[in-house]
Amino acid sequence: MYRKIAGTTFVALTLAVIVGLVPVRGDEFSEKDVKRWQEEYMSVVKTGRELWVSADLGTNGVACAQCHPNAANTHPETYPKFQQQLGRVVALRDMINWCLQHPLEGKPLALDDPRMVAIEAYVASERQGVQLAPGKH
Amino acid sequence: MSTSRLTRRGFLKAAGALAAAGCLPVSTVELAFADRSKSFTFAHISDAHIQQIRGTKFVRNWDRGLIRAVAETNLLAPKPDFVVFGGDLAQLGKKSELDHGAEMLSKLSYKVYCVMGEHDYYLDLGEYWSKLFGPHYYSWDHKDVHFVVLNSVLTYDEWTHERWPTQEQRMLEMAGLDNPNGSQFMVGEKQRAWLREDLGKVKKGTPIVVFSHSPIQKIYKGWNFWTEDAEEVQALLRPFEDVTVIYGHVHQVQYNQIGKISFHAVMATAWPWPYPQSYALAKSHLPRLTVPMNRADPFFERDATGWQLIDMKNGRTAMRYNLYNNTNRAVAFNPKTGRPEDTKFQEPTAGLPPQVHY
Amino acid sequence: MKNYFYGMILTVGLICAAVVQGKQEPASPPPLGLPPVPIPEDNPQSAEKVALGDRLFNDQRFSSTGDVSCATCHAADKVLTDSPLTVSQGIRKLAGTRNAPSVVNSVYAEKLFWDGRSPSLEDQALHPFVNPVEMGLKDHQPILDIVRSDPEYAKAFKSAFGKSGGEITMTEVTRAIAAFERTKVTANSPFDRWYYGGEEESLSAVQKRGFEIFVNQGRCLSCHVIEQTQALLTDNRFHNIGAGINAIRDEVPGLAGEFLKAEATASEVDVKVLTDKRTSELGRFAVTRGFDDLGAFKTPTLRNVALTAPYMHDGSLATLRDVVVHYNNGGVTKEGDPVNDFLSGGIRPLGLTDGQIDDLVAFMEALTSPEHASLADAASKK
Repeated sequence: MYRKIAGTTFVALTLAVIVGLVPVRGDEFSEKDVKRWQEEYMSVVKTGRELWVSADLGTNGVACAQCHPNAANTHPETYPKFQQQLGRVVALRDMINWCLQHPLEGKPLALDDPRMVAIEAYVASERQGVQLAPGKH
Repeated sequence: MSTSRLTRRGFLKAAGALAAAGCLPVSTVELAFADRSKSFTFAHISDAHIQQIRGTKFVRNWDRGLIRAVAETNLLAPKPDFVVFGGDLAQLGKKSELDHGAEMLSKLSYKVYCVMGEHDYYLDLGEYWSKLFGPHYYSWDHKDVHFVVLNSVLTYDEWTHERWPTQEQRMLEMAGLDNPNGSQFMVGEKQRAWLREDLGKVKKGTPIVVFSHSPIQKIYKGWNFWTEDAEEVQALLRPFEDVTVIYGHVHQVQYNQIGKISFHAVMATAWPWPYPQSYALAKSHLPRLTVPMNRADPFFERDATGWQLIDMKNGRTAMRYNLYNNTNRAVAFNPKTGRPEDTKFQEPTAGLPPQVHY
Repeated sequence: MKNYFYGMILTVGLICAAVVQGKQEPASPPPLGLPPVPIPEDNPQSAEKVALGDRLFNDQRFSSTGDVSCATCHAADKVLTDSPLTVSQGIRKLAGTRNAPSVVNSVYAEKLFWDGRSPSLEDQALHPFVNPVEMGLKDHQPILDIVRSDPEYAKAFKSAFGKSGGEITMTEVTRAIAAFERTKVTANSPFDRWYYGGEEESLSAVQKRGFEIFVNQGRCLSCHVIEQTQALLTDNRFHNIGAGINAIRDEVPGLAGEFLKAEATASEVDVKVLTDKRTSELGRFAVTRGFDDLGAFKTPTLRNVALTAPYMHDGSLATLRDVVVHYNNGGVTKEGDPVNDFLSGGIRPLGLTDGQIDDLVAFMEALTSPEHASLADAASKK
């Protein structure tokens, strides 16, 4: 008798899994997940925007937004590219660091600094929809 | 080269250089209708954005821009009749910034007429400005041309007087070009009424030049390249045959023709701004006529900054941009086409590659 | 010296081979760290031209006193300069106003002279002959008289250009000199072998630190260009870096005004800038009369810089350390002095420590090509 109950339970569970009544770990995600992750992302974009207008990234009170309102003229879609100011092919964050050191007279951020990611996230968000054009001067 | 002595003209010809329009001030841009008896020049320096870091320390980059413009303007020969400062002398309207800027401007060996910018205005609504430079809007006549200065960076009363808890906050909100909390520029009813009365006293046929900080056009709202009552102001200017509006604020080369009014933007001495079309997420209306300036190399702090020498001939203007690390530009009124044109680069085929903005 | 000579023969031989094959450019690649040598179409290289140019370059008869040649200021054992003179000396040891630039790698320059008043090596060669403080000739006729009558020259011009007697003009003379100068190309320095050759041991740790400063805090790279696959170490542009002009700060309006009113021929500019020190400080402004060029001078290449002291257009900075200190001060030699109003937008105080300055100097010493390195050894033994 117990074998019959176990067998039925097994079949029922399997069916339930197949039908989707029982959540399973794997590469599935729901609309709710996507929405939540989008908000996680936007929170970093928001941080990036705050850094963009902040007078404290450098030492002279100049903010990125002073020369790049809405991150215009940063061309994130063209990286990696040959950057004249650095004499070699670089990624966007290398040029961000160049700007921090030169017009903003500050110190570069570590390449894995969360603030660097935030700045890149903001720059990319203001440029969304533009086709990739790596190497374009 | 078979000759041993090379004349300068020969050398320049060989080098293919268009020396005439490029070099200041030996040559003058020859306008087709030149009647030299009615011509004179004046200089225009704008958007210095003197920015205090702390105490007596100011952002060196912007200081050097104004210092250089003043020093070069002083070298002009023949001398200009006067100099106009186009607004945004200070960055946050502080007394220290206005004083530091005024001190640099005082080195100019000419009479200076000043225009109000929003970075000068929104801390104390121009109170200290008036002590230094006088009225916010006014007019004068010079060699049969009627000059008007407008304070075109006003905005709605509620935003100006009620919305912000402190004047510092108000200044900060207006200081961010892309700040969504900002508010549209306008000339406003009071000044339009004054302008109507002022122009009413001007003889028909007199050329008019209006100095303004905002463009008296609607170019891009998001960055306040915008004057809310542009149409009303243009309507007041319509009865005149030769009208030029010269404006600052945009930190870039722009020019346009609307009816009989020519519009010329001036450069900043401090830093350049991107063209609105380089902001992918917004629609803008950059005047189609404009051949843009080159993109800047930010290593050279004076790149894409400059000042202007303006020729007035028969009531129309030729604006010569003195640029650094770049070929100088000249935008002159072309009577054949009835609009301002770049004297070298107006045709698309004449463009230089870096002038692409995207 | 011998290796240098044989190396040159090899290069010339390869160039000949290339010319024989009908190519304009030498078939051999340029030394490590440099792009291909630009050769103009109207003056292709040939062994005969180069040998003739060598002879002309060293001929002292082309001066009013008979004892000054190109090699007087551009000596073979001094990286083709006259180091350690601050400014060059011509006939009767008359001093000019400018420090002799090296002819080595001058083929990569787009304009010649410190103020760029000459558009090509061929044109440049015309000027010193007729300058009163250089060779002092009234015009080029004495040169033509010699090259048209001297039997050795007759043979050489015939084989190089197929011309003889009255057919020989200054065009042929300057083309031969330029062809000779175009063979003076050296690189393959310790820096090149490290950066482009992947040889980690070529630079010391100090020099590697110096390189980082060169690219970042030192702000050297934008004018002294190093790129992904080659390094000219110059941008071929003109900048006011505050050397020299500070001496005439108050006189600039007057001097500039004079130039704005005068109609100068190129030759007059030549004479004026080398004989009048004050005018010399106006730099490229004396050539273009553009405000952007006030006090601006050409960026020289930094290749072999350790061997070509003293530095700047007027030789006013004695050592590389002095140079770095001048830049560190933001364009003034003495810290705290006011900078001039027309200073290039690229120049500003750097905030380097003493140690960083030393590192940067050490890096610049790694830019010396092996051909000239023996000179460095000799110098360090002094």
